[in-house]
Amino acid sequence: MSTSTTLRCQMMAVALTAVTVAASGCTVANSRHGGYDPNTLRIVLAQEPPTLEPCESSLTSTGIVVRSNITEPLIERDPNSGDLQPLLATEWSQTSPNQWMFKIRDGVTFSNGAPMTAKDAAYSIDRAVNSDLNCNVDGYVFGDDELELDTPDDSTVIVGTKTPDPILPLRISFVEIVPTGTSMTEKVREPVGTGPYAIDDWEYGQKLYLKRNDTYWGEKPAFAKAEYQWRSEGSVRAAMITNDETDIAVSLGPEDGAEDLGVPFQNNETTALRMQATEPPLNDMRVRQAINYAVNREGIVKALFRGLGDPASQLIPSGVVGYNADLPLWPHDPDKAKQLIDEARADGVPVDTQIRLIGRTAQFPKISETIEVLQSEFSDIGLNVKIEMMDTSNQLLYQLRPFPEGAGPYVLMIMHGNQAGDAAFTMDQYMLSDGAQASYGTPEFDKKIRTAEALTGEQRQDAFAKLFAEEPQEIMSMAYIAHMKGILGKSPRVDYTPNSATGDEMRLSEMTPAGSATPTVAQ
Amino acid sequence: MFSFIRRRTYTSALPLIIVLLGVFLLARLTGDPTNLYLPESATPEQREAFAQANGFDQPVWTQLVEYFKGVLHFDFGTSLRTGESASEMAFRAFPATLQLAFTTMLLAVVGAIVIGCWAAYRPNSLADRFSSLLSMTAASIPDFWFAITGVWLFAVLLGWLPTSGVDSGILSWILPIATLMIRPLGVLTQVVRGAMVSALSAPYVRLARSKGASDFRVVSHHALRNAAAPALTVAGDLAVGLINGAVVVEAIFGWPGIGKLMIDAILQRDFAVLQAAVLLTAVSIFLLNILIDACYALLDARVREPAMA
Repeated sequence: MSTSTTLRCQMMAVALTAVTVAASGCTVANSRHGGYDPNTLRIVLAQEPPTLEPCESSLTSTGIVVRSNITEPLIERDPNSGDLQPLLATEWSQTSPNQWMFKIRDGVTFSNGAPMTAKDAAYSIDRAVNSDLNCNVDGYVFGDDELELDTPDDSTVIVGTKTPDPILPLRISFVEIVPTGTSMTEKVREPVGTGPYAIDDWEYGQKLYLKRNDTYWGEKPAFAKAEYQWRSEGSVRAAMITNDETDIAVSLGPEDGAEDLGVPFQNNETTALRMQATEPPLNDMRVRQAINYAVNREGIVKALFRGLGDPASQLIPSGVVGYNADLPLWPHDPDKAKQLIDEARADGVPVDTQIRLIGRTAQFPKISETIEVLQSEFSDIGLNVKIEMMDTSNQLLYQLRPFPEGAGPYVLMIMHGNQAGDAAFTMDQYMLSDGAQASYGTPEFDKKIRTAEALTGEQRQDAFAKLFAEEPQEIMSMAYIAHMKGILGKSPRVDYTPNSATGDEMRLSEMTPAGSATPTVAQ
Repeated sequence: MFSFIRRRTYTSALPLIIVLLGVFLLARLTGDPTNLYLPESATPEQREAFAQANGFDQPVWTQLVEYFKGVLHFDFGTSLRTGESASEMAFRAFPATLQLAFTTMLLAVVGAIVIGCWAAYRPNSLADRFSSLLSMTAASIPDFWFAITGVWLFAVLLGWLPTSGVDSGILSWILPIATLMIRPLGVLTQVVRGAMVSALSAPYVRLARSKGASDFRVVSHHALRNAAAPALTVAGDLAVGLINGAVVVEAIFGWPGIGKLMIDAILQRDFAVLQAAVLLTAVSIFLLNILIDACYALLDARVREPAMA
């Protein structure tokens, strides 16, 4: 080989490296340096928000950034008391069975300086509910219902429904207000809102920066800036907290290593097994009861969740309207479960048919171990159970109607979060015979649900609580496991108390430097 | 040389088309993305409209033709997840991966040459045993474990390095590169060592020694030149693996690269982004292979001459 050939080869290698580094250097090397800035609140999420579109804010990954930070609704629900509080609307009332009136707060401006009026509020509701945008909030909160909207003056919005809706204000609390002119045909990725913060910069794939909205109508938030980044590994998020690289880390597990900086809190998620009660042998009530008797809820919570949760007797946690505080846990009684299976077998029920136990990978910490424990418990009582772990997309095929044809009998691990704080949202989805996520129901129970949904106040609470007690006797399509708890990593330099809504809506204005006064929101 | 490159281009184009075809078809076998993107209570009409808007209502072969037509016009479609141009997302992520991959390979090659030459020059010495230990360690340590342990040791316990991210200048690079480098370094060290052991016992090396050449000159100018070809081939293969996306490293260290983008696209059934990312990496690997082949041909006349004949 000649010297010139070698030189050419070496030059090519050097040139290739130099060109690559130079060409690609702009992306990473020019990234903004974080560092410690006392005016900046640093937050690490589990994933980058796919969009900040306000009408998608019922999606956790979007809502946790957008809701009550960038945009605001007319009314907000207090996550602790469950009461509705005024926000961009100062008052509201039911003016007729099918009509509600909302009075809009004066002196509110969007972060772009434009005043917020009743027209903006009506436009936002129309956009989220009546448009063809396929907004998630529309599906989650309003279903198929269209709303009629009117603005008799700049401070009044009239919302009409086809049938009386006693919880319309609660539903409206899910609609984030955007200015008139926001696209009705395309979702927006970076919205303008009235919230205490506005988008400063979004380095896609790396960081999202918010800055304090100087035109905010309420109390100014304590931190001038907020900086979001995302890491998919829980242990890395926990390490960022212990290494003082972030102030808040969400979605930590008990084994991620946040130690004393991890704050446990009750979130609104409940885990349960949903049984496909139309398929033999799960169409036999005794088999479904046996599955319930076989589940050792307290053991799972203690051993697998390390006490971060409470064994569940229903699909909603305390604090949600309709929760039945008197409902006891279904007992753990493997002998009774075996007896029921034997009885069913003797009556010709095909209890030896293989049942698929389906779980979603990484849906919550220790899900794989939980599924394995459940399989063992079901095998011990004489059932033939096979585990199938799936990614989100495939698991949703089994969770949402229409269910796959010919799927056979399956038991699906679900985790339900009632963000709205009212049992109607849970009942509609999981208990109605045609609910989007319901595997089974009866016309009689459907009627009871509809009757309860028409009630208000104490009557509504009592009616739903009664339904949760009756469901295991009449339907029993579920085996409840636990009301879950989350862990939030929190730096000592920040004061913040997480609540049941923190996982879905993390209000930056409630965070203050340690030791400083907590800001109050103007009413 | 140009005819050699032209021939390699033609032979590499077919695998490229097969890869694109395979990704297109396999992605669609993974399921319908509708449930991930529409509200839970979406009506059949809404589902139909979603499918129609994204072309999912068409037969697969029609979608395939439309896709290839789009590729010819540099239109790779729009992300279902973000609404952004799929090609913009891929082009934004790719430089971060390229930068990481090439820096890693550069350091791995330099390290392997130094350690491999040292081990070959003193067989059965401490250096030789160290290189063997390095190779075995590299082969047996999972990169996930190495990365998490590195974060725990150097970031949490010692506080020397950041846990992740790209904010801390050169310090941000150390753990990702160390994690990525350990395997190529181990493999390349063994290749260099083996090739150098053969080269150092060759007659031309003995001739060089007899002419009074220094040890350094014998190793660097005579033996290493001839040992470079096999190392180049292996380094090329390893570089291809890194360009394809250092998924684990990008996920753990929050490195905004193409591997993470592809994984997210697969999980979210974001077909357009997946196809754009695969096309970009496939074209890059295709170009890299041509470069490696060209370099190999320059090093070895036996490779070059039949092509030029």
